[in-house]
Amino acid sequence: MAIIEVANVRKDFMIAKRETGMMGALKSLIKREYVKKEAVKDISFSINEGEIVGYIGPNGAGKSTTIKMLTGILVPSSGNVFVNGLVPYENRQENAKSIGVVFGQRSQLWWDLPTIESFDLLKEIYQVSNQRYKKNMDTFTEILGLDEFLNTPVRQLSLGQRMRADIAASLLHDPPILFLDEPTIGLDVVAKEKMRTFIKEINQERKITVILTTHDMEDIERLCERMILIDHGMKVYDGEIAMIKERFGKTRTLVVDLEESTRSLQLLGGEVWKEEGNRYWIKFNRDEVSASQLIAQITKTHSVKDLTVEEPAIESIISRIYQEGYQPLKA
Amino acid sequence: MAAIKYVNLYFKLVSAGVRAQMQYRFAFIMRIVGLITAYTGTAVTMWVMLYQFQVLGSWNFFEMLFLYAIAILSWGFCVILFLHFRSLDTYILNGTFDRFLVRPINPFFHFMAMKFDMASFGQFIFSLLIFIWVSLELHIEWSSGKVLFLLASIIGGILIQGGMLVLISAIAFWTTKSQQFYWVVMYPARNLTNYPLVIYPKIVQWIAAFVVPFGFVNYFPAAVILEKGTPFFPASIGYFSPLVGLVFFIIAYCVWMLGLSRYKSTGS
Repeated sequence: MAIIEVANVRKDFMIAKRETGMMGALKSLIKREYVKKEAVKDISFSINEGEIVGYIGPNGAGKSTTIKMLTGILVPSSGNVFVNGLVPYENRQENAKSIGVVFGQRSQLWWDLPTIESFDLLKEIYQVSNQRYKKNMDTFTEILGLDEFLNTPVRQLSLGQRMRADIAASLLHDPPILFLDEPTIGLDVVAKEKMRTFIKEINQERKITVILTTHDMEDIERLCERMILIDHGMKVYDGEIAMIKERFGKTRTLVVDLEESTRSLQLLGGEVWKEEGNRYWIKFNRDEVSASQLIAQITKTHSVKDLTVEEPAIESIISRIYQEGYQPLKA
Repeated sequence: MAAIKYVNLYFKLVSAGVRAQMQYRFAFIMRIVGLITAYTGTAVTMWVMLYQFQVLGSWNFFEMLFLYAIAILSWGFCVILFLHFRSLDTYILNGTFDRFLVRPINPFFHFMAMKFDMASFGQFIFSLLIFIWVSLELHIEWSSGKVLFLLASIIGGILIQGGMLVLISAIAFWTTKSQQFYWVVMYPARNLTNYPLVIYPKIVQWIAAFVVPFGFVNYFPAAVILEKGTPFFPASIGYFSPLVGLVFFIIAYCVWMLGLSRYKSTGS
């Protein structure tokens, strides 16, 4: 069942045109000209209960605008949005009860107070019963290790700790839907890993639907099965990540370490695109030649110390789609 | 959510705001000291001026001090409750305002309950002391009716000035910048109330009565209590103070909510 429905949504902003120079500044003081900016042009998708969907796009693609429309912060210029059966901007307060929101760049906690106080206040704001509060706090403390900093003021927390506190805070009222706007931004590898494990866990155990925007493709690969890719306010791709990898990910890289360096490594079906000392990176298309065929060719003339085959990172696939556009396959 | 829950929530949020403020003890104390110094400064200026003139528009020194005491009494409360509306534009500008919109409570209420300027209690005590001193000097006979009227008009004054702060903050929903308007509107309007309106040109008095109703903060109610005339206006106009406050605040609230709905369509 679809828990989120977005149909032909469009959002325009009127932006004041800025003139250059002193005269221009004076002119715009008196008479302002506005330029229409189409942040979201025409986006439709529907998300089922229990999915984790990666909502991806370059800066300024319209990701945050979409999230803001789903949370009821913004009213769409046209089109329909339904979240958990409600129109968010018409029933903003009711909608707020069924969503959790984490903005990675901005904390929603009380900056100057010990972390535990933010939880207490959110308990009051969301009218969480004592029983539910205690149960949730126990769970989050255990998984996220909140107890090490519950009495520290939020402003003194490390970024990793703050993000853990923020995500716990957003789930205190057991929302069926969670919006995560760049939840791993600025975190170190260990903290990122903890965050991903937690998101995966709450999705599986509590069946929470998660929409995630991120620039870290590893988040996507680790967490999501489905990805919605947008660019310039339009949907570019919506589907399984495995599928996009299948289609764009035919290029593989074979990395070999040879015993001694060689001047020419001529291979049938493969192309050396980088070399560093005795290490060579060989690009090949797996439909044309298999890795074992390539390896056989190399070992015929050289002795190989070590080798690996690299799959393309989703990141490079996506940057290719941004540049070339995505043409849907013809059936 | 029932009203009683909102009251409960208000106290919880406000006490959190107070504890947050207490974290910066030095700033807190300096703020109290600063406020008292500033107000004493104004009182001394008034005294020096009156020393020259003896009376100003038929108001003598203590009557004017009485006027001043009512003004800072209601302003003191107003600061405690509403002054942080002044920084609404900063919240909008750096995006922190959005967090008030993803929670299941009225955003006006939430924003209002976020801060509670404890330091202004120092100012409140200071104005109370001046008030007692002045009413002793003026030998005002405090009947229960007069006390009630005074309380009602102080509440009126809080609502008028608070409403003004709310109105000014709402500008941020349209222009994203509003703090300058505080200095353009609020500061002169408050300075105006330091002196009896009667000394100003008629047009200024009219504006202060019917446009930016700051005359109802102290001049009109004080005239009622001290039984002084208010030229150009009916003598009983001061009794309308609480009503004017209520109406003005409701208007301000509606404009604020209108601004919010505009914010929701522009997002800037």
